[in-house]
Order: sequence, then C-alpha cells, then structure tokens
Amino acid sequence: MNDRQIEILLDSFWPLLKAGVLYTIPLTLITFALGLTLAIITALVRLSSWKIPKLIASFYVWVIRGTPLLVQLFIIFYGLPSVGITLDVYTTAVIGLSLSVGAYCSEIVRAAILSIHKGQWEAAQSLGMTRLQTLRRVILPQAARVSVPPLGNAFISLVKDTSLVAIVTFTDMFKVAQQISAVTYEPMVIFCEAAVIYLAFSTILSTLQNYLEKRLERSSAS
Amino acid sequence: MIEVRGLHKSYGSLEVLKGVDLTLQKGQVLVIIGPSGSGKTTLLRCLNLLEMPDKGSLKLGENTFEFQQPTKISQKDIVALRQNTGMVFQSFNLFPHMTAIENIMEAQVTVQKKPKAEAHKRAEALLAKVGLADKANSYPHKLSGGQQQRVAIARAMAIDPEVLLFDEPTSALDPELVGEVLKVMKQLAAEGMTMAIVTHEMKFAADVADQVILMDNGFIIEQGSPNEVFNHPKTPRAIQFLNRLSGQVDE
Repeated sequence: MNDRQIEILLDSFWPLLKAGVLYTIPLTLITFALGLTLAIITALVRLSSWKIPKLIASFYVWVIRGTPLLVQLFIIFYGLPSVGITLDVYTTAVIGLSLSVGAYCSEIVRAAILSIHKGQWEAAQSLGMTRLQTLRRVILPQAARVSVPPLGNAFISLVKDTSLVAIVTFTDMFKVAQQISAVTYEPMVIFCEAAVIYLAFSTILSTLQNYLEKRLERSSAS
Repeated sequence: MIEVRGLHKSYGSLEVLKGVDLTLQKGQVLVIIGPSGSGKTTLLRCLNLLEMPDKGSLKLGENTFEFQQPTKISQKDIVALRQNTGMVFQSFNLFPHMTAIENIMEAQVTVQKKPKAEAHKRAEALLAKVGLADKANSYPHKLSGGQQQRVAIARAMAIDPEVLLFDEPTSALDPELVGEVLKVMKQLAAEGMTMAIVTHEMKFAADVADQVILMDNGFIIEQGSPNEVFNHPKTPRAIQFLNRLSGQVDE
C-alpha cells in the first residue's frame, strides 16, 4: 500500500464511521424494533383463529420472503410515486427494512411460541387465566428465551442488509464509501475499510447477543 | 358439588366417553381408575373443560353447563368454572421462568387481582403446608420431581378452588418420590378438600377414596366404595383388570 492509499484510508475513516454511527446503526435499531413488533403481531395473528387476518398475515410473509429486498425497496421508492405515493428515502428505508424484518422474524417468533409445551397453556388455563393472560405471562416470556439466538442472527443480518438502502440514494455508510471511492478511484481500499467497520459492528452485536443468551440461560434453563 | 350427566366426548370417529354419570359430594375424594385408553383422563379434563364434551351436562358448584354441538359455551363461563377448580398434572407443568413462590402467586395476582403482598403471604403459607417453605425462591429445574409436584399442588390450591383435580400426579415420579406427594394429598383429603383423582396407586385409592370409579372403554363399569370396587367387583372386565393390577404389584 502506498502513502497516498494510506492517506485516503485515514482520511475516509471518520466520514465512514460517522455515517455508520449516524445512519447505519440508528436505521438498524429503528427497523429492528418496528420489525420485531410487526413480527410478534404477525405471529400471533397466524396462530389465532381469525380466518381473514390469518390469510392476510400469511400472504404478507409469503410475498416479503419470496421477493428480493432490493426489488421491494425499488418498488417503494421508484414505483409508488407513479401511483401518487411519494416517500422520502428515510421513510422508504424504514418501511422496506421493517417489512422484511417483520416477515422473517414472524416465523422465528411463531416457531418459538409453538415450541412451548402445550402443558404450559393447560396449566395457565386451568388456573383461570384467559388466552391473552396466558400468552403475556406464561408463553411469551418463555418464547422470548427460545428466540434470542435466531433473532440475534436476524439482527446481525439486518446490520448488513441496511447497505442495500444506499442503492435508493440513502446516505448510509455504504453510500459514503461509494462516494469516496468515486472521487479517489481507490475502491479496493475504501470498500475493504467499510467492510472492516461493518465487521466491527457485527462483532460487537454478536458479543452482546452471546452475553444476553448466557444471562437468560443462567436465570432459567429447564 | 359435582354432578355429571350423560357425558359424551369423541375425537373424530373415536368415542372416548360414551355417556358418563357421576356425583361427587363436597369434602369427598373420588378416585378414577381403569386401563389406559379407558377415558379416565378425558373425564377428569372435562371437569374443568380442558376438553369440551360433545353432549351431556356438568354442574360444579354454581357453574352449570349443557353441552351440545356446535358448542355455545362462552370463554367467560369457562374461566369462571376454572377459577373454582384446581388441576395437578402428570408432568407438573410448573412455569419454568418463575420461582416456586412466583408460580403460586401468579394466578392470585393475574386472575384474582389480589395485591402482591397478600398473594405472597398466601403462597408462603401454602409452601409451608406442602413442606417446601425453604424452596420459595428456587426455580423448578432446581427441584426434584416430588418437590415440583408439591409446588404444583400448592399452585392449584392458591386460587381457593372448590375441587382439586389430579391427573396421574405420581406417574412421572421416581418410585422413591411418590410417597411425599401422596402424603400431601392424604393430608388434603383429611382436611376435607374435595378431590377427583386419576391414579394407578391402588393402595392409596383404597386408603383415601370415599368413592371409586372404574372405567373401561368410555363407560363406568364399577362404582362404589373402595371395598365394593376392589373386593367385590361385579363385572368380569373389572375382575380381570384388578387381577392384572394385583398381579403386577406381587411381581
């Protein structure tokens, strides 16, 4: 690596990290929170006995899981304006990513709820608890434990998937990397640098995930 | 206290209960025995509507139900009935994410809306009653099977039910742990708790039961005092079942 490359590497570090901290991380956190809420609602609806809402929830999961996220983002950002719905790039990113997280994680949540032994339902209901009380007090707390590892995976995937929003003009870390690379003609240096920062983010998050898993194991296990 | 008339229950084409009648007075202990698949567990689970009967009627204290197809029983009536019945399961089914005392407090707080302090006090008293005062803050996986089942009995009693239902409460236990659970149940019986028990513990049944029901193939084939059912059975099928059981015990 020559001096010029090293200088570019150093000069671009702060702009990249700044974009990561200001856009990539907040976008990840917001879309994961919204997506997880959507996932829990979708999972509960799919496990309920309401026919029409169930159908809608299954359709949603089927469509979102069966089509590329990039195509979904293009439809929201470039497609919707032609039917009179114009969304800015932030809204597009949040909606697109949340819908995706919601669909994938709803399957995780659904499987976690189904994995709780039916004796737990019966014990709670034999005590006079309603379905909702049983869910809230008995089933969901146990399902949350089961779903921490797969949800952690989904969360780390999301950190990386946020880079897709650069293509619909969102100035996240990847977009900044593209801009710097376009000016400096050093794609190898810049994109590797961006990759290292993504790697650092994911590593920190997996460490957190491991810590959370250990803590949950200690307080329960069965 | 409990009155069941003409109870029928099918799963698809398999008829599990073919018209069952029984009466249980307040303070009495009813023991239900019979070969596996005879419908005894289903009958017990019909008493708190964990299974919804297809036909017949159930009266438990103030709660009365007439069953028909399609069922028209409201969730509210089911919950009301369950607040008057406590159930103890073969596999304990304690809530693994709660300590022993939290398990016993749960329904008092969420269902009966008692203040936490009051629920805690009641739970402590119940734990002492089943001999586990020192295990209040243990999680279920730290307890032996016998201890878990005793916590489960305390949990079922915490809602002050009019009747306790036991579904093979000792079948999942190691033999050396059966005694401690039966002891608690005997004590409850002596205190006048109304109980309906599905069990294979014949000696316990003979000691504690006021009334024994022997079920076979969805019917009650023998009904009466332990002495009548165990020593003077009338039907050949009952004699066969009881002989086989005593044969197993002798081996």
